[in-house]
Amino acid sequence: MEDKSKLRRLLPYLYWIVGLLSGYFLLNALISPFAWGITLNLGIVLKRLGEIGGFLFAILTGLALVEIYFYQIFFRQPSNPRSRTTIRGLQYLLGGMTVLAILSFFEKTDLFRLGDNVMAGIVHLPLNAFGGVRSALTGIGLAKGAAGAVSGIVFTLVLVGIFYAVHKMSVPRVSKLGLPYLLILPAFVGVLFLIIYPFMFEIKLAFSNASLGTQATKNAEYGLIYGWQNLVTLFTGTVAKDAKFFDVFFRTVLWTVINVTFHVGGGMGLALLLHRPMKLQGFYRTLLVFPWAIPTTIAAMALRNEFDSRYGLFNILLTDLNSWLVSVSQGTVNVPLLGDAFNWLASNIGPVSWKQDPFWAFVSILISNIWLGIPFMSVIILGGLQSISQEYYEAAEIDGASKFQMFRNITLPLLRPVLTPAIILGVVWTFNKFDVIYLITQGGPQEKTDILVSSMYKAAFQFYRYGFTAMFALVIFVILLIFTLIYLRASGGLKSATE
Amino acid sequence: MNSTTSKPLSPVTKALRWFFVRSRGDSPFKTILIHATLIVASIIAVYPVLRVVTISLRPNDTLLTTSLRIIPENATLDNYKEVLFGAPEKNRKSDFFLWIWNSFSIVSVTSIISMILAAVSAYAFSRFKFPGRAVGLVFLLTTQMIPAGMLLLPLFIMLAQLQMINTALGLIIAYSVSTVPLTIWTLKGYYDTIPVDLEEAALIDGANRFTVFTRIILPLSTPALAIAFLFSFMGGWSEYLVARVVLQKNDIYTWPLGIFTYAQQFTVAWGQFSAASVLIAIPVMILFLYSSKWLISGLTLGSVKG
Amino acid sequence: MASVTYKNVYKRFGDVIAVNNLDIRVDDKEFLVLVGPSGCGKTTALRCLAGLEDISEGEILIGDRVVNDVAPKDRDIAMVFQSYALYPHLSVYDNMAFGLKLRKLPKEEIKRRVNEAADILGIRDLLDRKPRQLSGGQRQRVAVGRAIVREPKVFLFDEPLSNLDAKLRVAMRAEISKLHQRLQTTFIYVTHDQIEAMTMATRIAVINKGILQQLDTPQNLYDRPNNLFVAGFIGSPAMNFFPGKLRKDGTKLLVDTGDFSVTIPPKHAKSYESHAGKDVIFGIRPENIHDADFIPPNIDAEKVNVKVDVTELMGNEIFLYLVSGKNTFVSRVDPRSKLRVGQNAQVAFDMDTFHIFDAVTEKAIR
Repeated sequence: MEDKSKLRRLLPYLYWIVGLLSGYFLLNALISPFAWGITLNLGIVLKRLGEIGGFLFAILTGLALVEIYFYQIFFRQPSNPRSRTTIRGLQYLLGGMTVLAILSFFEKTDLFRLGDNVMAGIVHLPLNAFGGVRSALTGIGLAKGAAGAVSGIVFTLVLVGIFYAVHKMSVPRVSKLGLPYLLILPAFVGVLFLIIYPFMFEIKLAFSNASLGTQATKNAEYGLIYGWQNLVTLFTGTVAKDAKFFDVFFRTVLWTVINVTFHVGGGMGLALLLHRPMKLQGFYRTLLVFPWAIPTTIAAMALRNEFDSRYGLFNILLTDLNSWLVSVSQGTVNVPLLGDAFNWLASNIGPVSWKQDPFWAFVSILISNIWLGIPFMSVIILGGLQSISQEYYEAAEIDGASKFQMFRNITLPLLRPVLTPAIILGVVWTFNKFDVIYLITQGGPQEKTDILVSSMYKAAFQFYRYGFTAMFALVIFVILLIFTLIYLRASGGLKSATE
Repeated sequence: MNSTTSKPLSPVTKALRWFFVRSRGDSPFKTILIHATLIVASIIAVYPVLRVVTISLRPNDTLLTTSLRIIPENATLDNYKEVLFGAPEKNRKSDFFLWIWNSFSIVSVTSIISMILAAVSAYAFSRFKFPGRAVGLVFLLTTQMIPAGMLLLPLFIMLAQLQMINTALGLIIAYSVSTVPLTIWTLKGYYDTIPVDLEEAALIDGANRFTVFTRIILPLSTPALAIAFLFSFMGGWSEYLVARVVLQKNDIYTWPLGIFTYAQQFTVAWGQFSAASVLIAIPVMILFLYSSKWLISGLTLGSVKG
Repeated sequence: MASVTYKNVYKRFGDVIAVNNLDIRVDDKEFLVLVGPSGCGKTTALRCLAGLEDISEGEILIGDRVVNDVAPKDRDIAMVFQSYALYPHLSVYDNMAFGLKLRKLPKEEIKRRVNEAADILGIRDLLDRKPRQLSGGQRQRVAVGRAIVREPKVFLFDEPLSNLDAKLRVAMRAEISKLHQRLQTTFIYVTHDQIEAMTMATRIAVINKGILQQLDTPQNLYDRPNNLFVAGFIGSPAMNFFPGKLRKDGTKLLVDTGDFSVTIPPKHAKSYESHAGKDVIFGIRPENIHDADFIPPNIDAEKVNVKVDVTELMGNEIFLYLVSGKNTFVSRVDPRSKLRVGQNAQVAFDMDTFHIFDAVTEKAIR
């Protein structure tokens, strides 16, 4: 009885193993005729898995150690005055070491520089000690990765030993705030390294002359004067290579306004059409979200090809239209007015140089981004429409409201809770969204289709103007912050957000 | 209404009236108009996508054509074959699977890390009042306003100094910058909808805070966790700009970078680019269309909930 | 099985005092109902006992143990929530077994207890269902079942019937009373519905604005309300109040409302004499106001001229909404009464059962 159930419990795992193995062999057999041309192989996969596994393990272990440390601070108290000194001593020591390790990490990545003085020696003590253990291990013939792992394990064991000692010397205590802080700790650590630290770094870079010439931060110099220079260059000089700040800024505003207008307008139109009981509704809905569903990179690059001057879809259509207009104008050449009109049309409507003409290049990215963005808006608005109770419309109908009055007085106001944040987010996203621009025109010709963020990207990664880019980024951030604050003040959204 | 009762109508007027006027619902005329609009909109939405399929099927010698046919003459799968398995006769190997693997491993690990960090901290933000909570939430909200590229430069320099350029780990770190706050925000929105009563009942039933979290909150938020995972996965899956900065070597390319190498030499590889696009887009689109309902609910839970 | 004691308990939320110096001792096996209008602090008081809120001051004891700092799970209580709070992802069986599993009881024991509770509540055939597949009444039973299986020292109920329809509420009321007799455990039950309180409780604590108004048996609360609030809160339709003056007219003591005055019979007058000349509020319950044509025998009736404003025919009785000057009041009269809307008539106040409250302190004068 017992054996049988044990077997039964193991059975799913067995199935998995057998399934995976047979899948692997089947795949292998299927692919083997083509294996010559495929560069991916098991070795690469395993190497990556190892790399990622080690990384995850290190992160989780690190987090666990920090969590235990703070757990003991919040939820344990010394059992007697004598152990109190020991425990607090150990905790201050560990905390101090951690702070030093973080500082030394910041120093090593050039957030600040200490040079070779005593201070630096103290700051680097913990990390150097760790490095010392590792190099000692490599000294006795371990591979570098293994040495790192072993020293990590040794380090962890020491810490666990300390935690165990603290645990033995302490008794539980009640803490109300301990739990939430322990819970947000992992995210806080993540945010510290992922956002706060880069942000501080950015501020520092903004006051430097870092560029390719200074080998990024290696030989860069820092000072308020550089910050001022960067700021002056930003507003009076060129932002990437050719373009001026205010030109790009107004283009960005234009880009944002046109896009969001069309997104909301088109989305609202489609949503209103879809929001009625009718046949094929699901079918249309599926087709209409295609532009959203297709990965942006693919869509953008496919559209880029369609803006090709000869073989792209748009010019093919325009050429066809032109030749049709020409033939009509030839047919109506004797008809007064109409003939002139078609003649004018035929000579003015035709294929366009999407790549060379700055205006048409801008139109091309607008078309692409509008096409990409409408489905999202329409889906959001449709969701909002569906949440409006039918009873309002019935009441309005009894009151004698026209269709337009209903839209104006029921639909729009009731859609506001959905629409306002969607528009605000739409503005911020569009303001920041330049993958479409970058993939289709790369800002060309002559940076005439760049918006602020794409100029910034280019300044950093094509022209390597690091210090300048950092200042540029801060200015963009301030612009967005002002916009957000105005919005939040206007809508009182801050309160509801933190509620 | 009065005219209908006053005098009899001719059959033509009657028919016209039937066609254009309805007191309830839409008249046939309106229905036709609506369907026509929707069909045009659908064509606009779908046709560019279909064109990619078309081009992928063209034989190499007629790649450059002004034809608008959906299924090209002499349709062939050669492009697909070359994209997937390389072309021994041209001594050209295929990195397609490598790119997919790179993308997949990097993006899924990013999503997993964000989920781990977010799942617990979002719970704290949703359920506890503690000093710093409001600051934290506003901070999270602000991070959504930060341009994606803004922190890229310092991150890039940091990664360079840590020798993590051209590594999967480097890109994972760079992606986590935007996914972690977003995931926290989404999950917090969902946790807020779970009644506190359930947790209190569990507390009285004998659970401590930890068991409440693992046995009540986590099982109840599996849909939200799935959404959050899908969100960060979809966000990273077709990301190009950050990847381009962090990854500069062909063997670590994610697929958007890889596919761009086709597009750069576009006259030559337009067909292969299209074939690769189709191969990547189809599973993504199926997954997307299948999950769009949840994605939307996730959006309304998280970010759009101003 | 345990007593529960609130010792001078305060609970403050910022500046708001939700529970104000609550001092109650609930005996073992008692069925205590906390009743009061919504927002009066009764639920907060219960949640403090459950450990879901920390108290700001005072002590709460379960049995002889001070539980101020004891986690909810260690207080040996079970609670039925207003929303039922059934775990949506667990089956009915698992919902009921959840607490027992957390307490690591042997499987057979869990099964026995769940089945037993399911039998008591008649939900044996629902055990495999998920909560969302149940009706409101069934969910209610599961919530109660989840409390029963725990076999706790104290049962807490937080407005458990307020989400049920009227008919089901009456049925469940009876069942909870039966359950109390069967389990022989301390029950503490919060409700805003005074009928629930009157029908189920062994004792009722009336709470208003965080302050305990009166703690007594249902009958005593009804017959001898301590103050104006309790008098008005307990009983439906509510007691009629007439602001007036206590006046001495020769040897007679009477209440003068301005529109009419009623004489207090000499046998009751003694306790009120010292208050003569004071502003008072005269209270009388609707059933003690009779149609002048159907005055029960042997009562001290005081006749008052009124105009009938509205009548509500209930079949076995009639509610008359009456107007006399600036006073409007209700009487519950004999179904044979012929009084109809708009009529001027006479009604008789039964002067053996009335209440007089001090107009300033609102306390009962006895």
